[in-house]
Amino acid sequence: MTLHIVNQSPYSGCALSDCLDAIAEGDALILIEDGVYAAAGQHGLPEKQTFCLTADANARGVSIANSVEGIDEARWVALCTQHNPIVSWFK
Amino acid sequence: MQFTLVVYGAPHSSEGAATALRFARALLQSGHAIYRVFFYSDGVHNGSALAAPPQDEQDLLSQWQALERNHKLDLTICIAAAQRRGVLSPSEASRLEKTSGNLADGFELAGLGQLAEASAVSDRVVTFGG
Repeated sequence: MTLHIVNQSPYSGCALSDCLDAIAEGDALILIEDGVYAAAGQHGLPEKQTFCLTADANARGVSIANSVEGIDEARWVALCTQHNPIVSWFK
Repeated sequence: MQFTLVVYGAPHSSEGAATALRFARALLQSGHAIYRVFFYSDGVHNGSALAAPPQDEQDLLSQWQALERNHKLDLTICIAAAQRRGVLSPSEASRLEKTSGNLADGFELAGLGQLAEASAVSDRVVTFGG
């Protein structure tokens, strides 16, 4: 199962929407950098297996929605070991 | 597990390189190995020894170099991307008749084949966009 990484704000490009078009059942999604702006909720995020870097959300004052799990870098590493391939969406 | 990281972001124009560094540290702390960090596209600017960021900003170059020294990291810069952006080793600078090279210690210039080889050998490849 794929781990998708989105680092762009949902307000500044189509990285997240492109990712959500491609995401499959059982895949995981992690929001990092400006991607965490989507973690406040809505934006059509999957209800399961959606994560967000807590440090990046805190740095931007974003409160993380209940359906999104805030994680640290060590957990991100663990997610990378549990998924293959790992796909980054940044355009 | 063996990881390869691909960095597309220049140090001060996007967060990608800083995130890659955070991720690299977390990987090593978790006991995983980094086979290669490949700097591509604008990411090649990470290997310029001439960057002089203000003291109150992060100095990514010295942090990459410290990680390279402590963990024997392979920091590879795409040579074609580097040439067109002015990141040159002394030998490349002399071959191209430029006044001086600026490739930082700890980094090496190599071709895209090194990314293909690293992808083939590694269990995981993680890309950090610019």
